[in-house]
Amino acid sequence: MSEQWRLLLTGRNTAFVNMAVDRAILVAHSQGKVPPSVRFYHWIPPAISIGYFQSLTDEVDVDACKKFGVDYVRRITGGGAVFHDRELTYSIVISEAHPSIPKNILQSYARICNALILGLQWLGIQGTYAPINDIVVNGRKISGNAQTRKTNTILQHGTILLDVDVDMMFSLLKVPNEKIKDKMIADVKQRVTSLKHVLGHTIGYKQVVAAMKAGFEDEFHVKLVEGTLTSDEAILAKKYEKECFSSHQWNYRR
Amino acid sequence: MLSRSIYKVPQGKLLKISLDYDENKNTIHHIRITGDFFAYPEEAIEILENELKNSLLEQENLLKKIHSIITEHDIQFIGIDAEGLTRAILMCKQ
Repeated sequence: MSEQWRLLLTGRNTAFVNMAVDRAILVAHSQGKVPPSVRFYHWIPPAISIGYFQSLTDEVDVDACKKFGVDYVRRITGGGAVFHDRELTYSIVISEAHPSIPKNILQSYARICNALILGLQWLGIQGTYAPINDIVVNGRKISGNAQTRKTNTILQHGTILLDVDVDMMFSLLKVPNEKIKDKMIADVKQRVTSLKHVLGHTIGYKQVVAAMKAGFEDEFHVKLVEGTLTSDEAILAKKYEKECFSSHQWNYRR
Repeated sequence: MLSRSIYKVPQGKLLKISLDYDENKNTIHHIRITGDFFAYPEEAIEILENELKNSLLEQENLLKKIHSIITEHDIQFIGIDAEGLTRAILMCKQ
């Protein structure tokens, strides 16, 4: 019988809850309290997440976010700013010592991204891993990913774009040079794609979840069994939501 | 003197440096390293920022210093490296 991992379908939550839950799973797994876990989720209201090392005020137009009702949050993972709107977000939490996980960080990105690539195949889409942390379809980015390793445990989370609104994205993000903003928008429109664009029609969130679940099962030769957060995880997530991810101190720390 | 730079590391990520430096002594007073890169462990960036204080703003010295901090604290960067950091920091002086 294949190994069983936990599947968490936590649906839609705020940016602060979403980031708190990923961190709570990371801690619970590092303490040996829960099995390796794959989680699928999305964001309501839409939100910008920034990488751990980014400056919030450098990257995000906070006033525009407030105007459009978009939340913003700093991740515990590195990488760039992401506008989370019509997308599927996943996270995987697994021990560094697990035999399926390469010790080498870039190789582990590739391995986990391959689960998504297999998931895309279930949707009839040919994706390719584009180091460092992207998946591309026909040379255009459809997925961005970010990984942290803490207490011998890996958390990797990332997105798969169902649809994308580059103009909206750029009204929320700051650009280094206003003069070339139009060119940057045109550039990004050329470099980014979505499931809707590739397939030529919209696709439902649940259908993408099913495909990605299959992708993870194929890549890691495991069975994902639906479960829930333990009460410890839920308590921890509440604490992180309040004390960390929704706090001014955390979000503005760089 | 306060200065900033933005440097895209070849094949890598974007580095943004905010530098407060002493023009007379040519040393770092305070530095903030931001960008869309990855570092393991993440807390290492603050260590790097702290240990770079009072460093001489000179290519060879800075590169050596960053290399030694990376080794000492077993830091792994992805998307940036010691050379890129050195270059981005020195760009603040131009």
